[in-house]
Amino acid sequence: MLEIKNLHASVDGREILNGIDLSIQAGEVHALMGPNGSGKSTLANVIAGREGYEVTAGEVLFLGKNLLELAPEERARAGLFLAFQYPVEIPGVNNLYFLKAAANAIRKSRGEPELDAMEFWETVHQRMELVKMDESMLKRPVNEGFSGGEKKRNEIFQMAVLEPRFAVLDETDSGLDIDALKVVSDGVNALRGPERGFLVITHYQRLLEYIVPDRVHVLINGRIVRSGGKELALELEEQGYALYSKEPGRARRANA
Amino acid sequence: MAATAFADAAQYHREFEDFAAKRNEPDGLLQLRRQALQRLETLGLPSSRQETWRFTDVAALGQMAFQRAGDAPVAADRLPLLEGPHHRLVFVNGRFAPGLSRLQHLPDEALVASLGQALLTHPERVVASLDQLKGLADNPFAARNSAFWEDGAFVYLPRGVVLDLPLHLIFFASGEDTASYPRTLIVLEEAAQSALVVDYRGQGRYLNCPMTEISLGSGAVLDFHLIQEDDPQAWHLGGLRLQQEQNSRFTGHLLSAGGLLTRTDIYGLLAGEGAECHWYGLTLVKDRQLGDQHLLLEHAKPHGNSRQLFKGVLEDKGRIVFDGLIRVQQHAQKTDANQQNRNLLLSRQALAHSNPRLEILADDVKCSHGSTVGFLDPDALFYLRARGIGLAEAQSMLVYAFANEIVEHIKLAPLRERLEQLLSERLYPAAERKV
Repeated sequence: MLEIKNLHASVDGREILNGIDLSIQAGEVHALMGPNGSGKSTLANVIAGREGYEVTAGEVLFLGKNLLELAPEERARAGLFLAFQYPVEIPGVNNLYFLKAAANAIRKSRGEPELDAMEFWETVHQRMELVKMDESMLKRPVNEGFSGGEKKRNEIFQMAVLEPRFAVLDETDSGLDIDALKVVSDGVNALRGPERGFLVITHYQRLLEYIVPDRVHVLINGRIVRSGGKELALELEEQGYALYSKEPGRARRANA
Repeated sequence: MAATAFADAAQYHREFEDFAAKRNEPDGLLQLRRQALQRLETLGLPSSRQETWRFTDVAALGQMAFQRAGDAPVAADRLPLLEGPHHRLVFVNGRFAPGLSRLQHLPDEALVASLGQALLTHPERVVASLDQLKGLADNPFAARNSAFWEDGAFVYLPRGVVLDLPLHLIFFASGEDTASYPRTLIVLEEAAQSALVVDYRGQGRYLNCPMTEISLGSGAVLDFHLIQEDDPQAWHLGGLRLQQEQNSRFTGHLLSAGGLLTRTDIYGLLAGEGAECHWYGLTLVKDRQLGDQHLLLEHAKPHGNSRQLFKGVLEDKGRIVFDGLIRVQQHAQKTDANQQNRNLLLSRQALAHSNPRLEILADDVKCSHGSTVGFLDPDALFYLRARGIGLAEAQSMLVYAFANEIVEHIKLAPLRERLEQLLSERLYPAAERKV
């Protein structure tokens, strides 16, 4: 479903990704773990098409399409979803209006008719329960004044409404207390299915107790240095990342 | 009819004598006009060497000769009519158009009429209030209006009178190289209340020099809206004086979208304790339009509260000037004043000058101000696009949201809906252009 081959990417002339190879099939959940500065979020942003990242080598195929040639909105319409590490506050744009515009843009690109207000409202209501989201959040501007936990729930809620084929969750667990973590994980688990793939990016093993991955990858200095089953996450929890880092100084600099 | 050359004082005089001879007005009024004429002579035409006219060059007016505008027929469908029941007075080229106007039932004591009518029926009321407020003494366009106004609107609400329906004033200008000087005089006595919409529209290359005076007695409440959609070739140089007594409440909404060069100078005096004055302004410029707002809000007594939120959206080579001053006099303790100016640039050739200022002589006040000029937030754009919304639509959504923050404060639903429509028509295609 998602095929990453020898991906190199840099920001402001500094190479962050140093040749990533990763293949994720439909129905699979992969976890990408690594210390701060290892390139986790860079990979998420390159996949989603954020400006400011230069891909210097390699390719990313999504459902057979060359993802890197597509504009961010085209990637979303093709079925890709990024749950942001830092969801953006957008004053003046109503959450529900925004979501309807997104849903309809995606439907339109597939040649499907736009949802009428009633149909959309029904979908939204079902999905709200999934992440225990309060109706008042729909009427507020996108993420404005939301707590950290509300913002992350709103990301999963959007994913539930838009029903992507593949989702990248970029540190969705950061800043969540244990209750919110459960809610968010339940939401993700409810969306797991044979047609859908996930890449779950996290710093901590904790999230993976709730969203149990099929594969775990360790990212150090822009490279996947080890891959394994879900037990690899536990091993990392015990031993930390230091074991993998041949250049601790570099990791610290990237951290700063 | 004589042409009004801006630079030529002798010509003012000839024109003025000509004009005044036909007016047949109370002596007091003629006196005011003569005083204004003298101010005009002293002030001349503003030069960009003057601090307050630094970014707004009106020198070209010196080369133009504006005829006093004649009568012009205007079809009702050219007027920005409001939905729903309301009182309406229409003026074409500064002259009352009774056929286009319509007053509903008014409270017995209320006086809502053209100034011309009011001068016939209640001259003492007009003379007592006209040109009595402080402010804009050094503004030559205000002086021009005071010398040359022909007609306009007069609203007088005595103590405790509440106008249930909104009052809509439409000033339509029409002509080539013509000038008009609409005048509006609003007097709300103690605890009177009203909602007022003033629309400026027109067709042609004209000069519009309106002047509005608003006086609010103790506890009076006015919801005021000024909508400027003049012709793209027109000049609009307007003034507004406001004076508020104790615990009165003024909410002003200003939308400036038309004209080639437009400027509104506002002076507000919070003359009584606990007066509250809120302004929400939105200026839209495109092509080579210049939109300028100058505000001075003066707190003279304690416990006053003022807010200014002025936003600008700039396309193409549009330019915006914002100059806002909060002045707090020595005895105006416990003043709470805030001023914000935010400008959104949609083009690299656009230019915004923002000059927020504070002048505080009291020591126990809460005053703040802020100013921003910037492009659309790339993070917000990416967020919308990452959800499947196309670039053009994402830009439009953000621009609309930015501008609508001003419009959504409008309580008068028919007007708010009209302006929302204006925003979506104007800003949606705009945002599709490459930023």
